[in-house]
Amino acid sequence: MFNRSQVASAPTRPASIAPASPSAAVRGISQMAMFAALIAVLGQLPAIPLAGGVPITLQTLGVMLAGAVLGPWRGAGAVMLLHALVAAGLPLLAQGSGGLGAFAGPSAGFALGWIPGAFLVGLITQASWPLRLWRTILGVTLGGIVVVYACGLPVLAFQMGLSLEQAALINLAFLPGDVLKAVIAVALTHSLARAYPTPFSHARRRRR
Amino acid sequence: MIPLYRPGTSLLHRLPVGAKFLGIFLAALIASMFRESLGVLLVIWAASLLGFLLAGIGVRGLLAQLWRLKWLVVVLSVPQLIFLTPAETGYNVARVLAVVLLAALFTLTTATSEILASFERVLRPLDPLLRRLGLSAERISLALSLTIRSVPVILSFYAEIREAQRARGMRPTPRGTVLPLLVMSLRHAEETAEALAARGVR
Repeated sequence: MFNRSQVASAPTRPASIAPASPSAAVRGISQMAMFAALIAVLGQLPAIPLAGGVPITLQTLGVMLAGAVLGPWRGAGAVMLLHALVAAGLPLLAQGSGGLGAFAGPSAGFALGWIPGAFLVGLITQASWPLRLWRTILGVTLGGIVVVYACGLPVLAFQMGLSLEQAALINLAFLPGDVLKAVIAVALTHSLARAYPTPFSHARRRRR
Repeated sequence: MIPLYRPGTSLLHRLPVGAKFLGIFLAALIASMFRESLGVLLVIWAASLLGFLLAGIGVRGLLAQLWRLKWLVVVLSVPQLIFLTPAETGYNVARVLAVVLLAALFTLTTATSEILASFERVLRPLDPLLRRLGLSAERISLALSLTIRSVPVILSFYAEIREAQRARGMRPTPRGTVLPLLVMSLRHAEETAEALAARGVR
């Protein structure tokens, strides 16, 4: 399949020399890299001040979308790529934070929870094709919120010397933002599945 | 995208990546394990202060790092003050800050490229295992460098979308911005995959 840029760069290409179609592995690498970069960019966009003055970034929206759009393996892979680069010293987390310090602070558990989180979002959301709305909602809620909190809260409680209940109470301030992002993620996933279904290959392979 | 690394030639800069990482990992582990001990806390703080001086970053650099962490301090101390005494809060915040500063020291004194190279060295012997998952150390390195290259590309997509919105007098909403960003990024991923295939990457 030719796309615009290739046609523009090689208008006189003979029809017999068709470009090699990329293997699934190469396509996967490219998609994971692009999504890792997308999650990073979403974290740098201006934060949305929420009621109560807690600013939220769209970074976790990117994590939910990674799982929902790319499926479990590539979704989790995109998050791992991002984490590897953050650990290597690039400022790719929300508002330009990064470096090894991001994994030493109290929110380290949340960031690490994105990996199983994105995996579960993908596993549930892409269990069938076409996508089912209830599955996407369940996947984004369980993977994008429940799993991430389950990984994040114990670390938060331990680092701050609080009990798990106290940590959960503090974290309640972020719940409205996360629910809002989950809603946006579900809507975006379904719009994208209609507008551009190519990346949903995990689901499309198990068409039912 | 500017790496957080500060070039230099100090002892800390020259230390092998693995040794530096292990040292900082152990210090963080000890700080978390002996959380009640004032002695351990003082030693860790002294170590990070000494590290900042040794690395030639100095007190000003340390203060700049602390300023970067101002939100962490606020987010840490406000809720703690509700549940714990001021002394306990101060102690906890000091411990978390010491560990984060130590980790920042690693980031400040180690070049990103050097860390990525050592990732690859660690992954190489795991290659047979990775191949079972359809991966290889080479593919992972390729994905990492593609990601670095893609960040400015996606930022430029975002700028393009904002400009188009502004031209039509649209307010930026998360949905209206992220959907075109997703489509553009995924199309770009497809083009990149084709370009890689055309260059013989399998």
